[in-house]
Amino acid sequence: MNVLELRGLGKDYGERTAVRSVDLDVTKGEILGLLGPNGAGKTTTISMACGVVTPSRGAVTIGGVSLAKQPRAAKLKLGLVPQDLALFAELSALQNLAWFGSLYNLAGARLAERVDWALGVVGLRDRARDVVRTYSGGMQRRLNIAAGLLHKPELLILDEPTVGVDPQSRNHIFDTVRGLRADGMTVIYTTHYMEEVEALCDRVAIMDHGDIVALGSLDGLIAQHAGRGILLEIAGDAEAAARAAEAHAKVTRTGNALRVELIAGSGAGLGAVISAIEAAGATIARIESRQANLETAFLALTGRGLRDEAAA
Amino acid sequence: MIGASIRKETQLLLRDRGRLISLFALPVIFIVVFGSMFKFGGDRRDARPIAIWHEPNDARGIAVERTLGVTPGFRADPQPSADAVRHAVTSQDVGAGLIVPPTGNVELSIDQGEPIQARAPLEGALTGVVMRGLGLATAPPPITEVTPPGIAKPLDDVSGFQVTVPGNAVLFGFFIAMAVAISFASERHTGTWRRLLASPVPRWQALFGKLVPYYLISLVQLAFLFGIGAGLFGMKIAGSVGALVVVSMAVSLCAVSFGMLVASFGGTEKQIGSIVPVVLLVMGLIGGCMFPRILMPPAMQQIGHAVPHSWALDAYTDLLVRTGTGLAQVATPVVAIVGFAVVFAGAGLLRFRFER
Repeated sequence: MNVLELRGLGKDYGERTAVRSVDLDVTKGEILGLLGPNGAGKTTTISMACGVVTPSRGAVTIGGVSLAKQPRAAKLKLGLVPQDLALFAELSALQNLAWFGSLYNLAGARLAERVDWALGVVGLRDRARDVVRTYSGGMQRRLNIAAGLLHKPELLILDEPTVGVDPQSRNHIFDTVRGLRADGMTVIYTTHYMEEVEALCDRVAIMDHGDIVALGSLDGLIAQHAGRGILLEIAGDAEAAARAAEAHAKVTRTGNALRVELIAGSGAGLGAVISAIEAAGATIARIESRQANLETAFLALTGRGLRDEAAA
Repeated sequence: MIGASIRKETQLLLRDRGRLISLFALPVIFIVVFGSMFKFGGDRRDARPIAIWHEPNDARGIAVERTLGVTPGFRADPQPSADAVRHAVTSQDVGAGLIVPPTGNVELSIDQGEPIQARAPLEGALTGVVMRGLGLATAPPPITEVTPPGIAKPLDDVSGFQVTVPGNAVLFGFFIAMAVAISFASERHTGTWRRLLASPVPRWQALFGKLVPYYLISLVQLAFLFGIGAGLFGMKIAGSVGALVVVSMAVSLCAVSFGMLVASFGGTEKQIGSIVPVVLLVMGLIGGCMFPRILMPPAMQQIGHAVPHSWALDAYTDLLVRTGTGLAQVATPVVAIVGFAVVFAGAGLLRFRFER
């Protein structure tokens, strides 16, 4: 059963297209990692899925309910943990959660029970009455998550929940997310940290230039897009060495470093590549074998160029 | 949700010392300072001293001094010499002085550099005193003072606080607009607005929920300032208390609507904090909150109607000073203030962007 369905979802800001056309199904109980470089359209996609931003086109269905037609019913099924620390720093955790709970019609004993539960989930019960301003960064991040959990949503969207936290808090957040999934909650997790996705997610969607460019299981994406690589550091004319190596393998040059991917079935081995480079007058200063992982897949899909534009 | 919003905004306000000072403490300080200043210049209970000198047993001088003593609003302040009169005027111990020689013209000692609006009434009144004292006014002036229908009789003992309490209440009452705008900017900045939009609360309700608490805080602020004025400073309410409440409700509505308009421009907290106070002070100045409009040139008095402050002050002044003033007498200013509120809120709603 799909907890979230995005169909042809897109957003334009005047002439600029932030998200082109996203189709995505998120099934019940899974943790989906959403990755992408800055400006890829992750936050805009999430914002549209939550009803924070009105789409220019396409449709969102949450738990079988159309967000456009029944926004109230659809939003009750969804919890958002924004990238920002969306809290009132001058209020206590209890006061913050009382306010956010009221947005979901929680009041009285039911609110008190949910607040206690959410604080327990994120390990902040003993600091419940303290003003949020006095919390550490990690504690504020955990309270940020608690505020999105109060109404026990079917789908929880975590937008970069571990920015600026220490390893202990990060591990606590991982445990929290795993615990929520074990309780049947579906989670979308966006981050820039590949190891977080590798540690937590069942499936991964990679966005770039306003589209989902890859979607699948972790192993599937790595196998399909990462490949195994060998890094050769060249002493001498690296450009000539690259040209010579290209006859036997797929080569990517960055400065005096060549990343070499042997072409399956071509019959050419690493020895042929090295011989070609030496024949071109260059020598190899260092050889390093690169393990294929999500990061290599991510870079293969989105490129190595810097993305300095504002996140969309 | 509205109740929770009121609770949340109140909790935030109570933790914001700066905002509490600007909304509650600062106006009280202004009321005290300006109220004390006005007390010496405009309070009807204190007769104004006029320095006077004449030769001992001089019949002309005695007659003028006696006439001065029985003229309402004046008190004779005899001096030992003509120079002492001039010195009293120079040192501003008195507003004017009369030097009555046994023969010849009476010298009116007065600072001719003062604005004509302040000087002329005094010159006219003292000229009348001298004419009557010297028997030159052979018959009573052919003038009968009549208050036209529609203007209620003012209180006999109007104190400076009757002016400074409403002036500062309106001036600082409009500072709630800044609090409203900063609250929106802060929620956008921290991301709590984003969380609100992701919740099942309809957008109109989210907006309403932000404005209602500030409307109530504004009413509390006005009640506090008028309460302090009446309780501590002896400010009287000559007209209807009910009408005073209605005017205050209109003023609060207008101030919060203005805050909505400011918020719709989407500035940062820093931008709002640096620009809006200047705008509010200029509006208050034009509207007569700091300097009575009646003392302004006619053109400025007309310009004053371009801001809601002047209408609010007109209504408050009548209610505080004129006996028998009710809602009917202040209907025009109330309609004007509500009109401003509608324009501010309408423009604010047109400009406001939930998704920014």
